Amino acid sequence: MVVLSPSPVSGPFPVSGPPAPIATSSTLVNQVSIKPRLGQWSKILIGGPNLGTDESNAMAILYPVPNGGQADAFTVQDQGGQNTIDLSQIYVYATIPGDTPMVEAFGYQTV
Amino acid sequence: MNRRELIQKALGVGAAAFAVSQLRAQSAGSQYNGPAGGTRGSQLVTILTGPFDTSSQPNGVAPLAAAPQYATYVRIQAHPGQEGKIAIGGPAMASGSSNIADSAFLELWPNWDASFDNGRSDTWILSDPKWLNTIDLSQIYVYPEIAGETPIVTAFQLV
Repeated sequence: MVVLSPSPVSGPFPVSGPPAPIATSSTLVNQVSIKPRLGQWSKILIGGPNLGTDESNAMAILYPVPNGGQADAFTVQDQGGQNTIDLSQIYVYATIPGDTPMVEAFGYQTV
Repeated sequence: MNRRELIQKALGVGAAAFAVSQLRAQSAGSQYNGPAGGTRGSQLVTILTGPFDTSSQPNGVAPLAAAPQYATYVRIQAHPGQEGKIAIGGPAMASGSSNIADSAFLELWPNWDASFDNGRSDTWILSDPKWLNTIDLSQIYVYPEIAGETPIVTAFQLV
Protein backbone atom coordinates (compact mmCIF):
# COMPACT_ATOMS: atom_id res chain seq x y z
CA MET A 1 0.00 0.00 0.00
CA VAL A 2 1.40 3.37 -1.00
CA VAL A 3 1.13 6.21 1.46
CA LEU A 4 2.21 9.84 1.17
CA SER A 5 4.09 10.32 4.43
CA PRO A 6 6.00 13.15 6.11
CA SER A 7 9.72 12.90 5.47
CA PRO A 8 11.98 12.59 8.52
CA VAL A 9 13.85 15.69 7.39
CA SER A 10 10.75 17.83 7.81
CA GLY A 11 10.83 20.48 10.50
CA PRO A 12 12.74 23.62 11.45
CA PHE A 13 15.95 23.74 9.41
CA PRO A 14 18.79 25.58 11.17
CA VAL A 15 20.99 27.55 8.78
CA SER A 16 23.96 28.97 10.64
CA GLY A 17 26.45 29.39 7.83
CA PRO A 18 26.63 29.11 4.05
CA PRO A 19 23.80 27.62 2.01
CA ALA A 20 23.12 24.08 3.19
CA PRO A 21 21.34 21.17 1.55
CA ILE A 22 18.12 19.99 3.14
CA ALA A 23 19.47 16.43 3.23
CA THR A 24 23.12 15.39 3.33
CA SER A 25 22.55 12.31 1.18
CA SER A 26 20.18 11.63 -1.69
CA THR A 27 16.60 11.72 -0.36
CA LEU A 28 13.80 11.54 -2.89
CA VAL A 29 10.39 12.97 -2.06
CA ASN A 30 7.20 13.89 -3.91
CA GLN A 31 6.72 17.37 -2.45
CA VAL A 32 8.80 19.89 -0.62
CA SER A 33 7.78 23.26 0.75
CA ILE A 34 10.02 25.82 2.45
CA LYS A 35 8.61 28.68 4.44
CA PRO A 36 10.16 31.34 6.69
CA ARG A 37 9.67 30.60 10.38
CA LEU A 38 6.95 32.87 11.63
CA GLY A 39 8.36 35.67 13.75
CA GLN A 40 11.91 35.40 12.41
CA TRP A 41 13.54 38.16 10.39
CA SER A 42 15.70 36.39 7.81
CA LYS A 43 15.18 36.47 4.13
CA ILE A 44 15.31 32.87 2.97
CA LEU A 45 17.20 31.97 -0.20
CA ILE A 46 16.54 28.69 -1.97
CA GLY A 47 18.55 27.24 -4.80
CA GLY A 48 20.68 24.41 -6.03
CA PRO A 49 24.26 23.54 -5.10
CA ASN A 50 25.47 26.77 -6.71
CA LEU A 51 23.28 29.04 -4.57
CA GLY A 52 25.19 32.13 -3.49
CA THR A 53 24.71 34.20 -0.37
CA ASP A 54 24.48 37.24 -2.66
CA GLU A 55 21.25 35.76 -4.11
CA SER A 56 23.03 34.53 -7.22
CA ASN A 57 21.44 31.42 -8.72
CA ALA A 58 18.53 31.62 -6.28
CA MET A 59 15.41 29.85 -7.48
CA ALA A 60 13.33 31.57 -4.82
CA ILE A 61 13.78 34.35 -2.26
CA LEU A 62 11.27 34.47 0.57
CA TYR A 63 10.57 37.53 2.67
CA PRO A 64 10.22 37.12 6.42
CA VAL A 65 6.88 37.33 8.18
CA PRO A 66 7.78 39.11 11.40
CA ASN A 67 4.34 40.05 12.62
CA GLY A 68 1.36 38.30 11.13
CA GLY A 69 -0.03 37.53 7.72
CA GLN A 70 0.45 34.63 5.36
CA ALA A 71 4.04 33.49 5.07
CA ASP A 72 5.72 33.38 1.69
CA ALA A 73 6.54 29.84 0.63
CA PHE A 74 8.36 27.91 -2.05
CA THR A 75 6.63 24.68 -2.99
CA VAL A 76 7.38 22.11 -5.65
CA GLN A 77 5.59 18.81 -6.20
CA ASP A 78 5.93 16.07 -8.80
CA GLN A 79 2.51 16.08 -10.44
CA GLY A 80 3.14 12.62 -11.80
CA GLY A 81 2.90 11.17 -8.33
CA GLN A 82 6.50 9.98 -8.03
CA ASN A 83 9.35 10.62 -5.61
CA THR A 84 11.58 12.62 -7.93
CA ILE A 85 12.72 15.60 -5.90
CA ASP A 86 16.15 15.09 -4.35
CA LEU A 87 16.41 17.07 -1.11
CA SER A 88 20.20 16.86 -1.20
CA GLN A 89 20.11 19.09 -4.29
CA ILE A 90 18.02 21.83 -2.69
CA TYR A 91 20.01 24.36 -0.70
CA VAL A 92 18.70 26.87 1.82
CA TYR A 93 20.30 30.01 3.20
CA ALA A 94 19.02 32.34 5.91
CA THR A 95 20.36 35.88 5.95
CA ILE A 96 20.39 35.85 9.77
CA PRO A 97 22.54 32.98 11.04
CA GLY A 98 20.66 30.57 13.24
CA ASP A 99 17.21 31.24 11.86
CA THR A 100 15.20 28.13 11.15
CA PRO A 101 13.01 28.13 8.04
CA MET A 102 10.38 25.42 8.11
CA VAL A 103 10.84 22.55 5.71
CA GLU A 104 7.88 20.33 4.92
CA ALA A 105 8.50 17.29 2.73
CA PHE A 106 6.27 14.37 1.86
CA GLY A 107 7.25 11.23 0.01
CA TYR A 108 5.55 8.06 -1.11
CA GLN A 109 6.30 5.05 1.02
CA THR A 110 5.09 1.51 0.73
CA VAL A 111 3.72 0.29 4.03
CA MET B 1 -17.58 -7.09 -5.37
CA ASN B 2 -17.71 -5.61 -1.90
CA ARG B 3 -20.73 -4.45 0.06
CA ARG B 4 -20.49 -0.83 -1.10
CA GLU B 5 -20.28 -1.80 -4.76
CA LEU B 6 -23.24 -4.12 -4.37
CA ILE B 7 -25.31 -1.32 -2.86
CA GLN B 8 -24.34 1.09 -5.61
CA LYS B 9 -25.12 -1.43 -8.33
CA ALA B 10 -28.48 -2.27 -6.82
CA LEU B 11 -29.70 1.25 -6.18
CA GLY B 12 -28.09 3.15 -9.05
CA VAL B 13 -28.12 6.94 -8.97
CA GLY B 14 -27.88 8.35 -5.50
CA ALA B 15 -26.62 5.17 -3.98
CA ALA B 16 -23.11 6.49 -3.55
CA ALA B 17 -24.08 8.82 -0.75
CA PHE B 18 -26.01 6.03 0.88
CA ALA B 19 -23.00 3.75 0.56
CA VAL B 20 -20.87 6.34 2.29
CA SER B 21 -23.22 6.40 5.23
CA GLN B 22 -23.16 2.62 5.26
CA LEU B 23 -19.39 2.69 5.46
CA ARG B 24 -19.57 5.05 8.37
CA ALA B 25 -22.17 2.89 10.05
CA GLN B 26 -20.04 -0.21 9.71
CA SER B 27 -17.16 1.28 11.59
CA ALA B 28 -16.70 1.57 15.31
CA GLY B 29 -17.58 4.85 16.98
CA SER B 30 -16.66 7.82 14.82
CA GLN B 31 -14.08 5.90 12.80
CA TYR B 32 -14.39 6.05 9.05
CA ASN B 33 -13.32 3.06 7.02
CA GLY B 34 -12.88 4.19 3.45
CA PRO B 35 -10.81 2.61 0.71
CA ALA B 36 -7.37 1.48 1.72
CA GLY B 37 -4.53 3.86 1.09
CA GLY B 38 -3.39 4.20 -2.48
CA THR B 39 -6.74 3.41 -4.08
CA ARG B 40 -9.36 5.81 -5.34
CA GLY B 41 -13.04 5.80 -6.14
CA SER B 42 -15.31 8.04 -8.13
CA GLN B 43 -17.04 10.18 -5.51
CA LEU B 44 -15.34 12.86 -3.49
CA VAL B 45 -16.64 12.96 0.06
CA THR B 46 -15.59 14.87 3.13
CA ILE B 47 -14.38 12.69 5.95
CA LEU B 48 -13.31 15.47 8.26
CA THR B 49 -14.71 18.99 8.49
CA GLY B 50 -15.11 21.81 10.93
CA PRO B 51 -13.20 23.27 13.87
CA PHE B 52 -10.71 20.70 15.15
CA ASP B 53 -10.50 20.42 18.92
CA THR B 54 -7.33 18.97 20.46
CA SER B 55 -8.11 19.90 24.05
CA SER B 56 -8.82 16.31 25.06
CA GLN B 57 -5.15 15.40 24.54
CA PRO B 58 -2.81 15.74 27.54
CA ASN B 59 -0.36 18.03 25.73
CA GLY B 60 -2.84 19.52 23.27
CA VAL B 61 -1.34 17.66 20.31
CA ALA B 62 -3.75 15.49 18.35
CA PRO B 63 -3.62 13.49 15.13
CA LEU B 64 -6.32 14.25 12.60
CA ALA B 65 -7.55 10.68 13.02
CA ALA B 66 -7.00 8.21 15.82
CA ALA B 67 -6.73 5.26 13.40
CA PRO B 68 -5.38 5.17 9.83
CA GLN B 69 -7.74 7.07 7.55
CA TYR B 70 -6.66 7.73 3.97
CA ALA B 71 -7.48 10.98 2.23
CA THR B 72 -6.59 12.52 -1.10
CA TYR B 73 -6.75 16.15 0.04
CA VAL B 74 -6.20 17.79 3.41
CA ARG B 75 -6.63 21.45 4.27
CA ILE B 76 -5.88 23.10 7.61
CA GLN B 77 -6.74 26.75 8.12
CA ALA B 78 -6.10 29.12 11.00
CA HIS B 79 -9.50 29.84 12.50
CA PRO B 80 -10.44 33.47 11.81
CA GLY B 81 -10.79 35.41 15.02
CA GLN B 82 -8.50 33.17 17.05
CA GLU B 83 -5.12 34.41 18.23
CA GLY B 84 -2.61 31.55 18.45
CA LYS B 85 -0.28 30.01 15.89
CA ILE B 86 -1.09 26.49 14.70
CA ALA B 87 1.73 23.94 14.45
CA ILE B 88 1.41 21.02 12.04
CA GLY B 89 3.74 18.04 12.06
CA GLY B 90 4.21 14.32 11.98
CA PRO B 91 4.21 11.76 14.78
CA ALA B 92 7.36 13.29 16.31
CA MET B 93 5.28 16.23 17.41
CA ALA B 94 3.19 14.05 19.70
CA SER B 95 6.18 13.48 21.96
CA GLY B 96 7.48 17.03 21.74
CA SER B 97 8.48 18.42 25.09
CA SER B 98 9.60 21.97 25.78
CA ASN B 99 8.63 23.67 22.52
CA ILE B 100 6.24 21.49 20.58
CA ALA B 101 6.43 23.72 17.52
CA ASP B 102 10.13 22.82 17.20
CA SER B 103 8.96 19.34 16.22
CA ALA B 104 6.55 20.66 13.62
CA PHE B 105 7.13 21.04 9.91
CA LEU B 106 4.85 24.01 9.52
CA GLU B 107 3.22 26.82 11.44
CA LEU B 108 0.19 28.87 10.50
CA TRP B 109 -0.12 32.47 11.60
CA PRO B 110 -3.30 33.44 13.39
CA ASN B 111 -5.83 35.72 11.75
CA TRP B 112 -7.33 37.51 14.70
CA ASP B 113 -8.80 40.61 13.09
CA ALA B 114 -8.44 40.30 9.30
CA SER B 115 -5.87 43.10 9.27
CA PHE B 116 -3.33 41.21 7.13
CA ASP B 117 -3.50 39.85 3.58
CA ASN B 118 -6.98 41.24 2.98
CA GLY B 119 -8.34 39.04 5.72
CA ARG B 120 -7.19 35.74 4.25
CA SER B 121 -6.26 33.12 6.80
CA ASP B 122 -3.00 31.22 6.63
CA THR B 123 -3.70 27.76 5.23
CA TRP B 124 -1.83 24.52 4.61
CA ILE B 125 -2.95 22.18 1.84
CA LEU B 126 -1.62 18.77 0.93
CA SER B 127 -3.07 16.76 -1.93
CA ASP B 128 -2.11 13.67 -3.84
CA PRO B 129 -1.31 14.75 -7.41
CA LYS B 130 -2.99 11.67 -8.83
CA TRP B 131 -6.06 11.92 -6.60
CA LEU B 132 -5.21 8.75 -4.79
CA ASN B 133 -6.14 8.18 -1.16
CA THR B 134 -2.55 8.18 0.07
CA ILE B 135 -2.52 10.69 2.92
CA ASP B 136 -2.85 8.99 6.27
CA LEU B 137 -4.65 11.40 8.57
CA SER B 138 -3.41 9.53 11.62
CA GLN B 139 0.14 10.64 10.73
CA ILE B 140 -0.64 14.35 10.68
CA TYR B 141 -0.66 16.09 14.04
CA VAL B 142 -2.01 19.49 14.99
CA TYR B 143 -1.11 21.70 17.94
CA PRO B 144 -2.80 25.02 18.66
CA GLU B 145 -0.41 27.27 20.54
CA ILE B 146 -3.30 28.54 22.64
CA ALA B 147 -5.12 25.69 24.33
CA GLY B 148 -8.68 25.26 23.21
CA GLU B 149 -8.32 27.01 19.87
CA THR B 150 -9.69 25.14 16.90
CA PRO B 151 -8.15 25.25 13.41
CA ILE B 152 -10.51 24.48 10.56
CA VAL B 153 -9.74 21.07 9.06
CA THR B 154 -11.13 19.58 5.89
CA ALA B 155 -10.21 16.21 4.41
CA PHE B 156 -11.57 14.66 1.23
CA GLN B 157 -11.53 11.04 0.23
CA LEU B 158 -12.53 9.39 -3.03
CA VAL B 159 -14.86 6.51 -2.33
